[in-house]
Amino acid sequence: MIKFKGVSKQYTKDSIGLADVNLHIEPGEFVSVVGQSGTGKTTLVKLLIAEERPTDGVIEIGGWDITNISYNDIPFLRRQIGVVFQDFKLLPKKTVYENIAFALQVADMPRHRIHEIVPKVLDIVGLTHKDERYPHQLSGGEQQRVVIARALVHRPKILVADEPTGNLDAINTQEIMEILKKINEFGTTILLVTHNKDIVNQLLKRVVTLHNGKIIADKKEGKYRL
Amino acid sequence: MLLGFFRVTKFALQSISRNISLSLMTILILILMLLSINTLIIINILTDEAVKSVKDQIDVSIYFAHDASQIQIDEVKSYVDSFPEVVEIEYLTEDEVLAQFREQYKDNTEIIASLEELDENPLGPTMIVTTREPKDYEKVIAALVVPEYENIIEAKTFGDTEKAIERIHIITTQVERFTIAISILFAIIAFLIIFNTIRIAIYTHRMEISIKKLVGANNWFVRGPYLIEALVFSFLSVLITYGLVILALHLLDPYITIVFGEANILTNYYNSSILSLLGIQFLAVLFLTVFSSLLAMRKHLRV
Repeated sequence: MIKFKGVSKQYTKDSIGLADVNLHIEPGEFVSVVGQSGTGKTTLVKLLIAEERPTDGVIEIGGWDITNISYNDIPFLRRQIGVVFQDFKLLPKKTVYENIAFALQVADMPRHRIHEIVPKVLDIVGLTHKDERYPHQLSGGEQQRVVIARALVHRPKILVADEPTGNLDAINTQEIMEILKKINEFGTTILLVTHNKDIVNQLLKRVVTLHNGKIIADKKEGKYRL
Repeated sequence: MLLGFFRVTKFALQSISRNISLSLMTILILILMLLSINTLIIINILTDEAVKSVKDQIDVSIYFAHDASQIQIDEVKSYVDSFPEVVEIEYLTEDEVLAQFREQYKDNTEIIASLEELDENPLGPTMIVTTREPKDYEKVIAALVVPEYENIIEAKTFGDTEKAIERIHIITTQVERFTIAISILFAIIAFLIIFNTIRIAIYTHRMEISIKKLVGANNWFVRGPYLIEALVFSFLSVLITYGLVILALHLLDPYITIVFGEANILTNYYNSSILSLLGIQFLAVLFLTVFSSLLAMRKHLRV
């Protein structure tokens, strides 16, 4: 599903994002990428959604080589990968419903299909009754659930979650993790980037540990160890 | 394609209404710039009118000798008329000159009394010549300084007013140059202000632009609403400015009529050039706003 072959990313001479990373993620896996701040976790996510390009190596997603993806193809790639960000990245002047619908509108989805899909994903994340609210009228946990709903509308085969619980309290963190596990049970590959030790240890899923841009551990049912 | 256009238009109108204070501020700045440009247009019209009016006031009087015959006078008249620079010749008989003189000095009892003491009309016929430009008078006068006209023409007033005419010519030329320079300066200021206003508006939307890109919108889907917003801002600002200008002209025209003696100079000018004035201003503002939007967005689209 996701293949990193000898991938390196160097921002400047002294700033290395990733160094010779080899990673293979199978369809349906739930993989946690852990590591300290500035160790290359976010670089990994940015390379996956083509926000950055690798300095070296090859990246493949579902057999599609995106190493040198053209600017015109980037929107198509992003519509196939659901992304959940730590800072939510919701459009502040659009309602919950409009934020989710926007991800479908950019793909020229007809109106009647949008009216079918959006209520379904809102139901999955438990926000049906808050569809007319604006992001600033929601709690942090609710905003993150909207982001997950938006990431799900295209029924992506991969969901990348970059520190999805970074701004949330313990209760909201548990709720978000339950939603991610549920999505994974439906067959979606999940790549969770986090430095939250507790949630990684509870999951008992594959853990990839990054340090100074390199993979230093890759365990099938791993724990957070640094 | 049509669905995309419909959505982009909807997003643009939504963005205008949901960011109403920013939208109103942008429109207000565009209106202020357009009002400045229109003020300059009005100043140009008034300057042209003033220059024309000053030029119209200048003429040259040729006073014929008392004993000059009608044949001689007609010869001079047709000679002067042959110059392409001459636009009008007014001929006054000696009786008409006397009547005009009496009218001019009717309040001056001394002059009128001395005139009464004379048995006959001391004034000869007069020819008033108007040329296209003040500088043309010199040519006409020079042509009349020939021996055969020496005894016919008694005096020419141009000699006395030559310096004044030259001065007026210098002043009007300088005024014209000054208004051109001010127009260029205003155009540069207008460009910079509109450019920066749009840049600030786009800058406040930079997060939105990057979010839209991250959820899979292509560049045109992101740019589209801002371009339509630019179109709406341009249209509204030109429309409101024109309404304000028309209102101002109605208030100004009565005062201008007193100065130039011609009614509705400004309103007539605007009415006769409404399409070109509105069209040029709309296209200029639209070009500036669209150009500024595209340039300002370029950086934020690289996500």
